[in-house]
Amino acid sequence: MAERTPGWVYAVYLALALAGAGLPLALAWEGFVGWLAQARSMTSLAVTLQVLASGILQGGLYAVIAMGLTMIFGVMRIINVAHGEFLMVGAYMAFVFFMMLLPEELHSLFTSNLGMAILGVGVFLLICLPLMFLFGMGVQRLLLNPVVGGPELTPLLITFGLSLILINTFISVFSSDFRAIPYMSGALVVGNLALGYPQVISVAVSAAVTGGVFGFLKFSRLGKAVRATAQNADVAMVCGVNVERIYLYTFGFGTALAATGGVLISIQLAFSPEIGGIYILRSFAIIILGGRGNYLGALAGGILLGVIEGFISFFVSQGSQLQELAAYTLLVFMLLVRPQGLLGGIADE
Amino acid sequence: MKNLKGFMTAAAVAAAMLAFPAGAWAAQEVVVGGAISLTGRYSEPAGRLKDGRTLWVEEVNARGGLLGRKVRLVLRDDRSDPSTAVKLYERLLTQEKVDLCVAPYSSPITEATASITERYKCPIVADGAATRSIWGKGRKYIFGLVGPSDDYLRGAVEIAAKKGYKRIAIVNEDSLFSKAAANGAAMYAKKHGLQVVLKEEYPRTQTDFRPLLLKVKALNADALLGGSYFVDAAAITRQLKELNINLKIWAATVGPGLPRFTKDLGPLAEYVLGSTQWEPVPALGYPGIKEFIAKYAKRFGEKPNYHASQGYAAMLILEEAVKKAGKLDREALREQLTKLDMMTHYGRYKVGPDGFNSGKGLLLFQILKGERRLVWPEESQEVAPVVPLPAWDKRPTM
Amino acid sequence: MSKRALEAPAAPAPASLAEELPAGKAALQLAAIALSLFSFVLWPGLVNVYQISFVFFGLQYVVLASSWNIISGFTGYVSFGHVAFFGIGSYTTAILVAKHGWPWYLTLPLAGLLAVVWAAFIGFPCLRLKGPYFAISMMGLNEVLRVVALSWESLTGGGLGITMPNAENSVSTYYAGLAVAALTVAMCYAIAHSRFGLRLAAIREDETAAEAMGVPTTRYKMYAFMLSAFWPGVIGGIVAYKLLYIEPDSTFFIAITVNMITMAMLGGKGTVLGPVIGAAILYTAQELVWWYIPWLHLIAYGAFIILIVLFVPRGIMGYLIDRGWVAKGVIQ
Repeated sequence: MAERTPGWVYAVYLALALAGAGLPLALAWEGFVGWLAQARSMTSLAVTLQVLASGILQGGLYAVIAMGLTMIFGVMRIINVAHGEFLMVGAYMAFVFFMMLLPEELHSLFTSNLGMAILGVGVFLLICLPLMFLFGMGVQRLLLNPVVGGPELTPLLITFGLSLILINTFISVFSSDFRAIPYMSGALVVGNLALGYPQVISVAVSAAVTGGVFGFLKFSRLGKAVRATAQNADVAMVCGVNVERIYLYTFGFGTALAATGGVLISIQLAFSPEIGGIYILRSFAIIILGGRGNYLGALAGGILLGVIEGFISFFVSQGSQLQELAAYTLLVFMLLVRPQGLLGGIADE
Repeated sequence: MKNLKGFMTAAAVAAAMLAFPAGAWAAQEVVVGGAISLTGRYSEPAGRLKDGRTLWVEEVNARGGLLGRKVRLVLRDDRSDPSTAVKLYERLLTQEKVDLCVAPYSSPITEATASITERYKCPIVADGAATRSIWGKGRKYIFGLVGPSDDYLRGAVEIAAKKGYKRIAIVNEDSLFSKAAANGAAMYAKKHGLQVVLKEEYPRTQTDFRPLLLKVKALNADALLGGSYFVDAAAITRQLKELNINLKIWAATVGPGLPRFTKDLGPLAEYVLGSTQWEPVPALGYPGIKEFIAKYAKRFGEKPNYHASQGYAAMLILEEAVKKAGKLDREALREQLTKLDMMTHYGRYKVGPDGFNSGKGLLLFQILKGERRLVWPEESQEVAPVVPLPAWDKRPTM
Repeated sequence: MSKRALEAPAAPAPASLAEELPAGKAALQLAAIALSLFSFVLWPGLVNVYQISFVFFGLQYVVLASSWNIISGFTGYVSFGHVAFFGIGSYTTAILVAKHGWPWYLTLPLAGLLAVVWAAFIGFPCLRLKGPYFAISMMGLNEVLRVVALSWESLTGGGLGITMPNAENSVSTYYAGLAVAALTVAMCYAIAHSRFGLRLAAIREDETAAEAMGVPTTRYKMYAFMLSAFWPGVIGGIVAYKLLYIEPDSTFFIAITVNMITMAMLGGKGTVLGPVIGAAILYTAQELVWWYIPWLHLIAYGAFIILIVLFVPRGIMGYLIDRGWVAKGVIQ
């Protein structure tokens, strides 16, 4: 049997780990105390609420993106490194639609009237999502189908290759400049809270899409088949599920969800062909946090990450730098301590 | 044995590919080479720099070239990455054997490549770097052109001081130039007895500034000064509106000075203050400024911004040094660049003992009705600054 | 089961070189190796600085791809964040040279050792993770290091990076790189032809079975991981000194990891010569395409990765072995 690791190894390791984790924590704490001393009077309940609200709004966006990733990971056991680039493609589709196809006179519709702005995004998603769904199915059929169930390195590299192709094709076409869509820029002011319209719209759309996904998985026949395949592909196949087709749909759905995220980003933030990298590792952290293939977990994980990031960058001095660390630390920590995720994911065989 | 055969074949192929001809340029051409960020985060200002240089090359060739030889400009893309730029300069200087070098864009990349140009004793006029520390390391072959980064936000601080705004927040990107600009702003703020309530850096990949801006708001800052490039300055402006944060002053480096800032942000860009090295304003009174603006506008269909102007000016200075030296010898060029005293459309070029162009000052503009109008220093002022900035809900709806 | 079980292997063991090859052929092989090494030694005397640097950066990838191969090719744990060790080495050298005035060559052992220490530190928990989880954890840890390098300004200079004092270093770094590359490949060869290598292969093929057979898997995985971290650390130090300027984003750069993996895959992972061949071919191709058609460079690279993975998953060496052109025991 496996040899036992001697006790002193654990002891040394623990000591090192504490020292390693302690240092940044001490730095963060020092910053935090400094900030408190400087700003105690300003850190009121209202401000905290504002930060919380902002974090939740941001987290809703993360959740939609991560949900697509966890769906693919759950059903096909593939880590889709190109997920961030699917998102980027979605953002650029929105850009092309709003800036190039839509006549300029109609632009004001999206910048002045809230109802029209929501309608615009809705209509656009209706056009964009089927396209991205097909695109995802194409990727699955051509590139990933031959390698599902193989060693994990293969799909990792294929999707990485795909992401290189996508990023650089988009750079060739659109240049690597950052773009932005002149969307509604005002804020919904509720008491002391100011919530940017784009973010509010984004969260509303996220909620609708998330609800749709839940409903689909829970109640539709296809959704049940997807869940069954995620649980155990072999058993599902025996029960008459066409597993290959499920893979196809799953990848399509996952891609469409990523693109939804991209569209929602395009209406509130600047984006460039290289934007995917910002979101992909966060999404990994979220799906590990939530558990593989656990959609509720992805939702909770996304919002949790958004809030944590918001709080770090608000309350910690020099927090804008450190907030990036939140996702990565969370990711590694969860993998080591509870790889099945907070809420538990689909068990690995 | 066959395994080795495979290996040897591979090695032979590699060696054969290496033997591609060094510098496939015609011998009678003067080749001016350099790395420039055609892609990546610096592509917007770097592209303007390239336009300025291109204009010069076209003109110099039209008037008979340099020392009677045609000039060819070879600019390779460094992907906004310092280590790529280092490899490029090494290649340009030792394999392609370019005659003259032009500088890359941005302080970090100039800092990285200065070691290489220094090693091969190739003088460059750094038209894309304003950080003084680059000149503080005893380098001999790098010459400054633009005003120091420490002074970029000086005008904004002075306006704030004059108006009696006490609480200053400074945010900046974590990179050489932006940091120097922010530190300079903090220094001037201290000098004027203002309180720096926040000084924070953000990573280069940041696009979401909302938590940071909430911090600014919670601290009741009167003025926000940004050591920024394009993306961050634009995003902060949008998100200020989104969070309904009303500041008395919002001034940023680089970003607002680019033509795209006004184009992309439209009405949101109104009232933003920006620092600039130079503006296409003939009233600045430099020799040839009017002609340059006209030529550039004719060639590229828009007024030159300060980056374009710098790119063009650096080439003029290089041309003058070559003419005075009468040859392309690098030591002779270095000597000429050290003692040259020259007025261009861009201002005066006269470097100090460290190679930094110490005479150059900075300007501040405000975007008013979509135009950049100089507001500081007072002797160059076109209009008085509109401060405090009107609150978001007081501005006409757009 | 006792440990004896594996020490008397029943499987086709790549015993020693002498058993596989007649003495004359072995001598010829040695001569060929000596000759190619010799030509590498002569190279700087024949060419200009750029061409020296060109080969130097190629050697860098020989080291990186071969080292990655130890943990991922031999042992089967896919490290998707191997550039972390390279980065640690880079920063060690840069900090010691720039801030403490050490001679650069003295920093290299320390660069390697610190990489090994980090490997030991993260390997202990991470090597328990299986499959994709291990790959993601490596990627995440690399990002952690990148952000730490960005934020720990007093030590690393943050986003400003570190500039080292200028020096003519093309030839010295070239020879250092050559020595490190030769040592790395020699180490891989030694591992592949030892019981240790055999045990790593057992872990790769079926970890549970290997453990049941008495292979102390945890310990051996750790050894492999630490060995695969040392040379990237050293070469990281050399590259940092060669460039004289480093900053976090291009040091802890995920693309370098992907380069290592793709090169090892192209040549044939799990073989000794595979990563060397892969690095030579792919690096040359990348430089050429990037110089002549910059915009196409990364698109073509992406397509190339996909094609290799789909159509030559076992790489060039695998292809040769399958056709019987290369004796399996020798280079595997």
